[in-house]
Amino acid sequence: MRILIIEDEARIAKRLVRMTNQYFEHAPASLTVCDSLSKGINFIQANEIDILLLDLNLNGEDGFDVLQSMVSRPFHTIIVSAYTDKAITAFFYGVLDFVPKPFDEARLFQAFKRLSAKEKPAEISLKYLAVRRSGNITLIDISTVRYINGAGIYSELNLQNDKSVLHDKSLDALEQILPPQFMRIHRSYIVSLTEAKKLIIQPGSRYSLQLHNGELIPVGRLRYKALKEKMG
Amino acid sequence: MLYRLLFISLLAFSSCKRDVLFETGLTKYHVGDNVHWSAKNYNDINWKYNRGRTGNKVFWARINVDLQQRLETIGPMGVQVHAFGAYDFYWDGVLIGHNGKPLSTEAKEIPGTEAAVFMLPDSLITPGKHVAAFRLSQMSNGHDLRDVQLKLQNYKPLLRDPLIITAMVHLMAGVFFIASLYYFLFYCYSKQREYSVLIFAFTCLFFFCLLIVEYVKYYVDIPYTQFFIRLKAVGILTFLIASLIPYYFSIQLGFKWKRQMLVLMLGAYAVVFVIQYGHYDYTSMLFSLIMWITCLVTAADATRRKVKGGAVVLTGMLAIPLVHKFALYDIALFISYTIIVTCMLYLHVLRARVLEEQYESTLLLSSRLQLELIKKNIQPHFLRNTLTSLIDWVEESPKQGIQFIKALSDEFYIMNAIAEETQIPVSQEIDLCKKHLSVMQFRKEIDYVWQDEGILPDEALPPAVIHTLLENGITHSAPLENGRMYFKLKFVTTAKQKKYIFETHARNRETYRDQEGGNGFKYIRARLTESYGDQWTFTSGAAHHGWVSVITILT
Repeated sequence: MRILIIEDEARIAKRLVRMTNQYFEHAPASLTVCDSLSKGINFIQANEIDILLLDLNLNGEDGFDVLQSMVSRPFHTIIVSAYTDKAITAFFYGVLDFVPKPFDEARLFQAFKRLSAKEKPAEISLKYLAVRRSGNITLIDISTVRYINGAGIYSELNLQNDKSVLHDKSLDALEQILPPQFMRIHRSYIVSLTEAKKLIIQPGSRYSLQLHNGELIPVGRLRYKALKEKMG
Repeated sequence: MLYRLLFISLLAFSSCKRDVLFETGLTKYHVGDNVHWSAKNYNDINWKYNRGRTGNKVFWARINVDLQQRLETIGPMGVQVHAFGAYDFYWDGVLIGHNGKPLSTEAKEIPGTEAAVFMLPDSLITPGKHVAAFRLSQMSNGHDLRDVQLKLQNYKPLLRDPLIITAMVHLMAGVFFIASLYYFLFYCYSKQREYSVLIFAFTCLFFFCLLIVEYVKYYVDIPYTQFFIRLKAVGILTFLIASLIPYYFSIQLGFKWKRQMLVLMLGAYAVVFVIQYGHYDYTSMLFSLIMWITCLVTAADATRRKVKGGAVVLTGMLAIPLVHKFALYDIALFISYTIIVTCMLYLHVLRARVLEEQYESTLLLSSRLQLELIKKNIQPHFLRNTLTSLIDWVEESPKQGIQFIKALSDEFYIMNAIAEETQIPVSQEIDLCKKHLSVMQFRKEIDYVWQDEGILPDEALPPAVIHTLLENGITHSAPLENGRMYFKLKFVTTAKQKKYIFETHARNRETYRDQEGGNGFKYIRARLTESYGDQWTFTSGAAHHGWVSVITILT
């Protein structure tokens, strides 16, 4: 795990470092601390990371710009902030977790556990996906997404208006933050169940899901049963 | 002039109806002295209607009176005489009384009053022809060739009516007196001294004086030699009132060419005064006219500029000529003055409301600033970050954790003590800053060093202003190579200003986006305005050693 901590309070940064090292004791973790946002952003541009622990003043207008820019990137963002009243909004934008200050070990570990947990706990779910397009951030309303397919290290969001956009996060990373109406039905596909029309069994035990617009999406052999249950 | 209306209107319900019907002939004069000239049947055919200058001589006057009918016969009948000088008064040859003492071989003249009332014996008031004769001298005011005139009326109302009118007028004068007293005190004890209030107070006072001076003649004997002193006083008071009223309107309605207009108005008064010198009534009338024109112009201009209250005053001013058209001159004057005073009061109320709103907004600002000060220590950024660090200290090294708690509690204590103040001694502010630094030292693990220079401990300044600058310094700076950050507060005072210079010696952080002082600077500016109005300046900017902010208070 490559982890970056952006926190300008030395004592809190130390605390985060200590606890993070504790949690990832079995996994080799590279850990960097930046004491200002600008330093952190420079670091992200030069280095790849897996998790960002971000102390963000979400009360300033700048706060949300930074937040959008962070969640559009491939890594997961965990906000560690004093502005607890902004937690809901942070979740709307797709952060992995929001750890309110003051925090203890248990709460921070809980956030880290989300990385590996298969079942997402029922939480306030994201509403927008922030997408980077030629340097600008565009917000995609999650309800306009039909399905998502993997495209190498990126994901391709297929929208109701028949357009598609690339997201920097992998399909695996997106699966961890998407709301429950999204389901992984194939190694390379996540669909919105509200778009699903019916399951089709094709010759040779190949399964497909037909969407309301007629498109057929392949369904993985192992995921067929779960999907059938969900569709009732 | 204005008091006349009162006279008439009050007369309306006292006794306006004539209770004696009579006619008088023209007064005849003759220089010389003979007691037989008082006789009813004396033939005065050679006497003149023009009295001429009588100088130091005794002279006589005779008036033929045709007493037609007494409508009200209860009580004795009286006669009111208007004349200048001192005289003996005869009715049908019978000596009725004296007003002063006319010149005689033995004694000098003792001056009488301009008006006098005598009672006539019942035996001498049979219907028919009568003769009033006067033995006079007029040693003073010799240029004033005033006619001797009389009027018949029942004796009781002759004495009583002026008293009733005087009582009524004094009631009215009392109202103006109290009003002037109220507004004088209001002016003296109000924080924001409004000139217009003082002008209104003076207007009321002068009107009170005018009423008193006008009616003083009914209960104070003024010798005819002093007759014009009262009239002059009336003239001066009228002039003052006629000057203050337009001035008041021009202030309240914000007239742009106030000075020019007032100069023009005073010029017009001067011209009237010179041309009409000695014509007291006519002068007053012209003064009132000029005053009305000035007020009209001011109100019309205010209405054009849509000034609040302008239209009301204009309506009032335009109503005045209408009143004059439909009402008797004296009554119209009274109504006019009532309209003017009402307009003045209306403007005063409008102004008072504006002041009240201003006051309320200052209160609101003060309580908002108080709240902001209290919030400083409970806002999440401060509180939750501090608590997070605190937990860590307690978990990792409990002893220092306790010191941290102590420092935090000290900062809270000072914050609590100053929360409701608008100004605190600078020494207390420095204490607060030092406590804040010790809290921040635990959080940021940076060595903060506080320095001050030239501080006068008791010098007052708004609370948490330097504290706010300190917070900004901590947020936007990184420590020097030696791991330290220095904060330095300098106080410099000169004859005209006091200066607080706050320096941060550190490396300025390059911020993600350009950040202005934001809410912190807003707080500082609002606090300075609250305490010093616009008598302050505030600058803040990067310097070679870090950051420097300067607060200058003009004294």
